[in-house]
Amino acid sequence: MTDFLNYLILGLTRGSMYALIALGYTLVYGVLQLINFAHSEVFMSGAFGSYIIIHAVVGDGKSLPWFGVPLVFILGLGSGALTGAVIAWSLERVAYRPLRRRGAPKLAFLISAIGMSFFLSQLAGKLFNRFTNNQFPTYFQQNRRVLSIAGADVSVIQLTLIVTAVLMMLFLDRLVSGTKLGRSIRGVAEDAPTAALMGINIDKTISRTFIIGGALGGAAGFLFGTAFTFSNIMGFLPGVKAFAAAVLGGIGNIRGAMIGGLLLGVVENLVPTAPWNGHAWIGIGWTDVVAFVVLVLVLVVRPSGILGERLGRAA
Amino acid sequence: MRTQSLAKIAVVGMVGVLALTACSNSKKSGSGLGGGASSSGATSGGTYTIAFEGPLSGDNQQLGINEVNAAELAVNQANAKGDLGFTLKLLKADDVGDPSKAPAAAAQVLQDNTVMGVIGPSFSGATKAVGNTYGDAGLAVITPSASNGTLQTLGFKTFHRIIPNDNVEGTQGADWLARKGLKKVFVVDDQSDYGKGVADAVQSELKAKGVTVTRSSVDAKTTDYGAAAQSVKSSGAGALFYGGYDAQAALFAKALKAVSYTGITAGGNGVKSSVFTKGAGDAGNGWYFTCGCLDATIATNAKQFTADYTKAYNTPPSTYSPEAFDATNALIQAIKDAKSKGSVTKASVLAAVNAVDYQGITTEVKFGADGEPAGATTVSLYTQKAGQIVSVGLLKDQS
Repeated sequence: MTDFLNYLILGLTRGSMYALIALGYTLVYGVLQLINFAHSEVFMSGAFGSYIIIHAVVGDGKSLPWFGVPLVFILGLGSGALTGAVIAWSLERVAYRPLRRRGAPKLAFLISAIGMSFFLSQLAGKLFNRFTNNQFPTYFQQNRRVLSIAGADVSVIQLTLIVTAVLMMLFLDRLVSGTKLGRSIRGVAEDAPTAALMGINIDKTISRTFIIGGALGGAAGFLFGTAFTFSNIMGFLPGVKAFAAAVLGGIGNIRGAMIGGLLLGVVENLVPTAPWNGHAWIGIGWTDVVAFVVLVLVLVVRPSGILGERLGRAA
Repeated sequence: MRTQSLAKIAVVGMVGVLALTACSNSKKSGSGLGGGASSSGATSGGTYTIAFEGPLSGDNQQLGINEVNAAELAVNQANAKGDLGFTLKLLKADDVGDPSKAPAAAAQVLQDNTVMGVIGPSFSGATKAVGNTYGDAGLAVITPSASNGTLQTLGFKTFHRIIPNDNVEGTQGADWLARKGLKKVFVVDDQSDYGKGVADAVQSELKAKGVTVTRSSVDAKTTDYGAAAQSVKSSGAGALFYGGYDAQAALFAKALKAVSYTGITAGGNGVKSSVFTKGAGDAGNGWYFTCGCLDATIATNAKQFTADYTKAYNTPPSTYSPEAFDATNALIQAIKDAKSKGSVTKASVLAAVNAVDYQGITTEVKFGADGEPAGATTVSLYTQKAGQIVSVGLLKDQS
C-alpha cells in the first residue's frame, strides 16, 4: 500500500508536468489544427531562460534566506513562462505565419515544426552546453518531507509541482471559458472564417494562443528543471509523452489534456511497477512502452480520446 | 507583400547562420593552440600525423572534447620538446559517437597518407563499426575509452586499448559486493552498449556467488528517476549497481537520496567523473566507483598534466582525458621507436605499438596479442567524499 501511494505521488508529479505541456499542444491544435512539434523546445527554452535569471539573482543559492525562496521560485516560474511565451510567439511568426499566408498544405507546417524543433534544440546546445544534467542552484531543500500519507512521503518539490501545475490549469480554464480572449480563442477554434466575420482578428488570436501555450510550457520547463534536470535535449521525451497525453484526453480539448496528462503520468508509474510475486511485474525499463500501449488501447475504444475532440467548445 | 515576407525570412535565416558561425569560430579560437605550435617545431625529419576519432559534435561531444584536447596537448608537448626528429600533426575526425557516422570519419583518416595511428574511437559502438576498416588498412588503433567486453574478440587486426574491459571491471566489482555478504543486489543499466556490458558482467558474477539479483533498465534519455529509485528502495536490496554514464547516474543518485535509500550505491568507470560529482552534489557522497585506471590526481606526473591541461583549455581535464593523453603519448613513443629502427610506415608503427611499453599517468601502456592491456588486473575502487572523488584502493583488496 505504501509502495502504491509512493508510485501514485511520483505519477501525479510527472503527470502534472505532462498536463502543462499537453495544454500547449492542445491549444494550438484547437485554433490551427496543427501539431506544433516544436513545443517540446518551447518547454526546454523555459528551463534555460529561468536558469539564467535565477542564477543571476541567487548565484549558487546557498546564502538565500528562507523568505527569499518563494520569491525566487515565483521569479523562476515567471521568467520560464516569459521565455516560453517569447519563443512560442516567434515560432509562430517565423515558422507558421508565412506558411499560413500562402495557404501551404498541412504537411508543410508539420515539416516546418520538426525543423524548428531541431533548430532550437541544437541552438541551445551551441549557445549553452550539451551536458545532460544541468542543475538549478539548490536554493531550498527539495527533499524535505511535508506530508506523510499512510507511510508514503510527499516532498516539498513534489507538492510544489503538483499544486503549481493545478493552479495554472485552473487559471487557464477560467481564462478560456470566462474572458473575452478566451471567447475569441474558442471562436477561432470553432470556425475561423465566421469568427473573422464577427470581428475577431484571427492572426492576433492565434498569436495569443501561442503565447498562452508557450507560457505554460516554459513554466513547466522551469518546474521540470527544478525537480529533475535540464538540457538542450530535455524536451524530446516529455514532449512526445505530453503529445500522447493530449491525444489521450482528446486533442483540442483543454480539460482532456489535463486529465490525459495526469492519467498518463500515473499509469506509466503504477503499471510497470505493479508487484507480482514480490517483483515488479513488467519492470521500469518498459515505462515508455506501457505509456504508448495505454494510448493505443484508449484510442481503440474511444478514437477521439477520453473527453473527445470538442474543438470549438474547448473548455 | 510576398517578396517582403520572403526577405524577412532571409534576414532571420542570415542572422541565425551568422550567429552559428560566430559561435563555432569563437570555440575554435578558444581551444586553439593547434596550428602554430605544430609548425613551429619543424625539423627536417618529415611530418607524421596522429588521427583522433571521436564525437566532436552532437550530444556526446563532451567526451570527445575531453579526449581530443588531451591528445592535442600530448602532440603539442612532444613537438615543443624538439627532440623528436620529426613534426607531429593531429587530425581530428568527428564520428559524432555514432556507429553509422564512424565509417565516414575513418575514410577521412585513411585519405591522409601521413596518418600513422589513430587515437579512438571513443565509443564501443563506433569501434565495432570501423575496427575492420582500420585493421584492413594496417593502421594502429589505440582507444582510450571503448571498454565493451567483446571488442577484443571480433578479430580487429590493429585494435588496442589501454583500459581493462567491462568484464574485468564488472566481475571484480561483483566480487567486492558479494564479499559484503549482501543477499540481494539491484542492477540497473542504461541500455547502452557500455552500460549493458558492465551490468551483465556484474549480474552474472553476483549470481555465480549466490546473490539474488534484480535487474532493470532505464533508458539513458530518462530525466525522472523517481520510479526507478522507489523500486530500488522497495525491493529491499542491500546495494545498487548502476551500469551507465555519469550524467544519468547523478540524476539517479539524487532520486535515491530523495527516497532515503540507505544501501550501498556503486557504478562503473562511466560514472566516475566531475559530471557526476557536480550533478549529484550531496547525493553523490558515499557512492562507489570501480575503474580500471590509476588515480590520475595522485600520481605526480598526472598533476603536471592536470595543470598543463587546465592552462591550455581553461577547464580541468575530465572523463578519459588522462587516458587519451596516455594513449597519444604511447603512440608517439611507438612512432619514435619505429623511427629509431629505420623507417616510419604504418606497418612499422603498428609493430612498435604492439611492442610498446610506456609508463603513463593512468597505467603502464602495454598490449597483449589481442590488443587488451597486458597488465589489466588493476581495478581500483573510488568513492565520493564531501563532493570529491577519492581513491579507496585496489578493488580486490577491499572487503
